[in-house]
Amino acid sequence: MKIVAVTACPTGIAHTYMAAARLEKVAKNFGHEIKVETQGAMGIENKLTESDIRQAQIAIFAVDIEVEGRERFNGVKVIQVPLQEALKSPENIFSKIQR
Amino acid sequence: MSQTPNSSLQFAFDCPLPNGLHARPASQLSEIARRFASECSLSNLRNNLAANAKSVLGIIAADIRHHDPCILIVDGPDCESALAALQKFVEQTLPHCDVPLASVSQGGSKKALPRSLQKANPVVSWGSQVSRGIGMGKVVILSRMTLPPASDSLRATHPHHELDKIKAAVAGVRHRISDRLKYAGTPVGTDILQADLAMAGDVALMEKLASEVSMGKSAAQAIVETGQFFINLLGNSDNEYVRQRSADIEEICLQLLDEIGGRNPAASIKLSEPCVLVAEAIAPQQLLDLDRRFLKGLVLEHSGTTSHAAILARSLGIPTLAGVRNARLFLTPGQEALVDANRGFAIAGITPGVRRFYEREQGAFRRRKQLWSLQSGKAATTTDGQRIEVAANVLSGDELIPAFENGADGIGLFRTEMIFLSREQAPSEEEQYAIYSEAARRSGNRPAIIRTFDIGGDKKVPYLNLAKEENPFLGWRGVRLYSDHQEFLQQQLQALLRASAEGNIQIMVPMVASVDEILQFKAALAEAQQRLRERGTSFQANIKIGIMVEVPSVAFAVEQLCREVDFFSIGTNDLVQYFFAADRGNPKVSSRFGVRHPAFLRFLDQIVEQIHLSGKWVGMCGEMAGELFNLPLLLGLGLDEISVPAAEIPSFKQAIAKLDSESCVKILDHALACTCVREVDELLASQSLQSPTQPLLSDHLILLDNESHSKEEVIQEMVNTFFICGRTENRQQLEDAIWAREAMGSTGFGYGFAIPHCKTDVITANSICVLRMKSPIEWDAAQGEQVSTVVLLALRESDKVNTHMQVFSVLARKLMNNDFRQYLQTIQTVQQIIQYLSEQLGIPSERGSLSITAPPQLS
Repeated sequence: MKIVAVTACPTGIAHTYMAAARLEKVAKNFGHEIKVETQGAMGIENKLTESDIRQAQIAIFAVDIEVEGRERFNGVKVIQVPLQEALKSPENIFSKIQR
Repeated sequence: MSQTPNSSLQFAFDCPLPNGLHARPASQLSEIARRFASECSLSNLRNNLAANAKSVLGIIAADIRHHDPCILIVDGPDCESALAALQKFVEQTLPHCDVPLASVSQGGSKKALPRSLQKANPVVSWGSQVSRGIGMGKVVILSRMTLPPASDSLRATHPHHELDKIKAAVAGVRHRISDRLKYAGTPVGTDILQADLAMAGDVALMEKLASEVSMGKSAAQAIVETGQFFINLLGNSDNEYVRQRSADIEEICLQLLDEIGGRNPAASIKLSEPCVLVAEAIAPQQLLDLDRRFLKGLVLEHSGTTSHAAILARSLGIPTLAGVRNARLFLTPGQEALVDANRGFAIAGITPGVRRFYEREQGAFRRRKQLWSLQSGKAATTTDGQRIEVAANVLSGDELIPAFENGADGIGLFRTEMIFLSREQAPSEEEQYAIYSEAARRSGNRPAIIRTFDIGGDKKVPYLNLAKEENPFLGWRGVRLYSDHQEFLQQQLQALLRASAEGNIQIMVPMVASVDEILQFKAALAEAQQRLRERGTSFQANIKIGIMVEVPSVAFAVEQLCREVDFFSIGTNDLVQYFFAADRGNPKVSSRFGVRHPAFLRFLDQIVEQIHLSGKWVGMCGEMAGELFNLPLLLGLGLDEISVPAAEIPSFKQAIAKLDSESCVKILDHALACTCVREVDELLASQSLQSPTQPLLSDHLILLDNESHSKEEVIQEMVNTFFICGRTENRQQLEDAIWAREAMGSTGFGYGFAIPHCKTDVITANSICVLRMKSPIEWDAAQGEQVSTVVLLALRESDKVNTHMQVFSVLARKLMNNDFRQYLQTIQTVQQIIQYLSEQLGIPSERGSLSITAPPQLS
């Protein structure tokens, strides 16, 4: 499955990047292809392009704050979770997707 | 109401007043009772205390609180009318006579304690910091009611005679209060004075005084003991309001003592174990008389932070707080107490939790000092290479060794008047020579600026027979009185000249206001030199002479003065109060017209510039120089030297090394354009000190085998680590920043790891701090998460493009990697961790000059 994701936390120093790393790794284990955009203290990195989003079957928002450029995801199925969930039990997120 | 068989009448009621039956209603009640011949007694059925209802003190001591059941019993010829009058008062007037007492409750201070100290639940009272440091000891209260040790006031004549004296004194005090009542102004002021008036003539007070003199005590002694008796009685009440009344009774007894001329304003006290001394205020002489080995802390109710006692305390390094409200009630004699003059509060009663906090605290200070002592011997230079001397202010020979141990570049101000105070006769030339020559020897090539005696103002010396002045700070003090005391001056100058043969002694003259004063002084110096030549004694012929800049007129005579003297040292304490006509001991005006007022800064800027134009040297030795907060202004002014308390020298040298002089000049320029103290304060607070030389990783920031017991302690430990290695001076704000992030959600992320982080400008450099614990602690109670490795990421907020953010994000990602975490948990040494992290994150590391990997010493 092709997945896009956005991570963002209030200070944007640590958890944004930790969650990104975690999602990338667990997605691989589940056999998915994933691209994660981070919205942290360094601004938006690994930005999702229009075609990234168009090709994805689902978008995961692991965020504790509002996603920047949410309108980019209009028409895409979005699953939004608190950032902690992406850190602590990312497996749950992916099993939900598969159902 | 009911009639009892022995014809006394009684009346029962519940106290309707929320604040209890306090002094003001009590004085009204007693006033009514006193109109009648019958005996009136008031009993509190809650605590079974009975009082003479004609005595305000008695009523207050009965501690009648809201809803306490009470009985009034009246017995005597006019008991019926008495009871009717009292009952009418209780039922109709009493419920409405209570003005809300806004100030009775604690002022609701917003100042916060460190989290790990909060956990210990200490009983805290705040004040302002006078002299930094931490001290612990038994509370000793310096009473104002003490008598001279050997005076006539102790010798009792006939009891009748003594009683007459007391009656006259009471009449005198009542007369004065009545006088003041005429001009009281506000209704509350009137009520308070009326309560005082009632208290001064109180039946119980008079009875106690009479019984003391009947036992053979003198009038003065009877007043002291009676005062002590009531202070103890009221002071032991559970009611805050009643306890505060003990201050009123003390005031009245002091006035009674003044009336009979028996008071000793500067009594001494003997300390025999580690003590925290608590006083309303203290005179410099009293402070000097104390055994300093045992004086661990000083808590003053009076709010002046620049009184001479305060300056003295700072110079002696005694942790001191001023302006601690009701300190003598808050702290109980004999109780263990702690003074934290770094944060500005005193703690009553030392619990194990408080003790543990301060043991860790002192461990941090020890390690910081140890680390810094290696660097403080070097000259203080800004990042762009500007040098400034950092010298020490001292008061006695004892302070020379610690001053140079702390890295002093010289002695910037040796105040000699302390040698003259606190003694019966003037010190001899030999005695002075011994002290000055020690200063010369210990200083070596470094300058030792010794100031000739500055007596007068609030510094009195009995053997000089100075007349009492209406306005001593504007009177006969400093250089002005030298013409009256030529021989004292000769002795001091000859002692100084002799010492100059042994080192770099420089002489500084206090309170110079005009050129002719310095001409006269130089004539006296020439005479001293002539006398020494006649005696065949050697001295430094071209000894340097300087003056204190503390009278504003000096600013208008700089050119002339530069022809006569070699150097100047700005004494800001007096200069600022003379400049603004604002008493520095009066917080109402001193806070508004402080040293950071733009007008004063412009004045200083002008003085320094003029002196430099004439090619002379100018330093600063006042309190302004000793406050780290002012440092950018001081560097901006371009001073050649600052002279600070010895203990502060390492902090100053560290801070100077992080500043560049050009930015400081800009900061000063901005400050000069401000309009008030507040604006300058805000300007300085917004300047964040940044050190370009401190790397992200350092030995000092890796803590292994840590023994913290809780999350609070872990964070305290990490904050202290920043403090120890000079990455923050503001531990409270750094701690708050870390906790602010924790409040948004725990930073524990499983695997025994937590990653707290913060953005703040109270750190001097972006930093990664790693702490590994001996045994895991609970990081987040809600999730029951156990943590044993903590990685703190601290980022400077104002750095717009933060180059280190990239590294932080890499680190955050790597923490999601099993191998990386396992490696961090198992590597043995600090060096290995640094090396591993540097490789993994692609950053250079600092090899610290001193490895401090040991956990704090927990004694």
